[in-house]
Amino acid sequence: MAQNVNPFYAEQAGSTKQNDESRKSSNDSHAVTKRLHKELMTLMMTQDKSISAFPDGENLFRWIGTIMGPKDTVYETLKFKLSFQFPNSYPYTAPVVKFVTPCFHPNVDTSGNICLDILKDKWSALYDVRTILLSIQALLGEPNVDSPLNALAAEKWQKQEEYRKHVLDTYREA
Amino acid sequence: MDSTTESVKKEAAGSGNNNSESKDENKKDDQMFECNICLDTARDAVVSMCGHLFCWPCLHQWLETRPNRQVCPVCKAAISKDKVVPLYGRGSTKQEDPREKVPPRPAGQRTEPEPGTSFPGFGFGDNGFHMSFGIGAFPLGFFTSTLNFGDSRPSAAPRGTQQHMEEQFLSKIFLWLAIIFIAWLMMA
Repeated sequence: MAQNVNPFYAEQAGSTKQNDESRKSSNDSHAVTKRLHKELMTLMMTQDKSISAFPDGENLFRWIGTIMGPKDTVYETLKFKLSFQFPNSYPYTAPVVKFVTPCFHPNVDTSGNICLDILKDKWSALYDVRTILLSIQALLGEPNVDSPLNALAAEKWQKQEEYRKHVLDTYREA
Repeated sequence: MDSTTESVKKEAAGSGNNNSESKDENKKDDQMFECNICLDTARDAVVSMCGHLFCWPCLHQWLETRPNRQVCPVCKAAISKDKVVPLYGRGSTKQEDPREKVPPRPAGQRTEPEPGTSFPGFGFGDNGFHMSFGIGAFPLGFFTSTLNFGDSRPSAAPRGTQQHMEEQFLSKIFLWLAIIFIAWLMMA
């Protein structure tokens, strides 16, 4: 993770060229870090208990988020963990968001990849961790069964009782 | 605890509430002037036609990131560099258009749009598609257009005379020649 190199250490490393590069990238990542800090602040102030997110260890570019399954859906009472990987170009490009907790859902594949338009072509620089989490939470209750990553889940969606069993089975594997 | 201290306490509590309220309001006011991209107070502020506030460097980078889908990050209305209004506060000494100073672009940030994904406008210019067609010989055209000064075109001969017939004949020949020439060009 070159973008996280402390300029101080880079200077010690010698080589002026390397030094220049690290300074430039640290300038770039400065804005990203600043924004991520702001997002963290607002997330910590938020009253919404159904979502949360926090940086994963020292690295501010990796976060772990959690969402509660929305009420009155088959996911109710279940808690899902997600991983966020922020690119250097954040917020101009979307972070990579994946389910860490196995999730049986038409738009989530077995490795946790999520098919959600706002994380792809509909991404906007305005979206942040909070809105992403809320969108994914909403996606749980309202899957898009027309373009499924998990065909079985899309098929079972009509039979909610059977579907719920699949959800619980997949969830327990965690 | 006697009543006086209680009332003092109440008052203190009340004023404290007032303070926090005004603080909240201040915070709200501050947030009103935050850039929608970096979430910080907007510097070199510009406003889009749809009324959303950005730092110019932030918006510029947003527009650079997706050259073929230039939309407002907030409301997804169409925006462009020419359709944003720079804001000049009283405090700003330099009244220069923030759009004039393009932030130093990080190298390699611009990504080419993937072909065939989205294709707005159907403009041929977007693809660099050009087509031109022409027949010409430079010096001849030059001579005819510039070097026949002085003599104006002779007026057409009166109808019925020998000269008129000849002219009609010649123009027909030239017309047929042109048609044959064009047909030959098409075949070749």
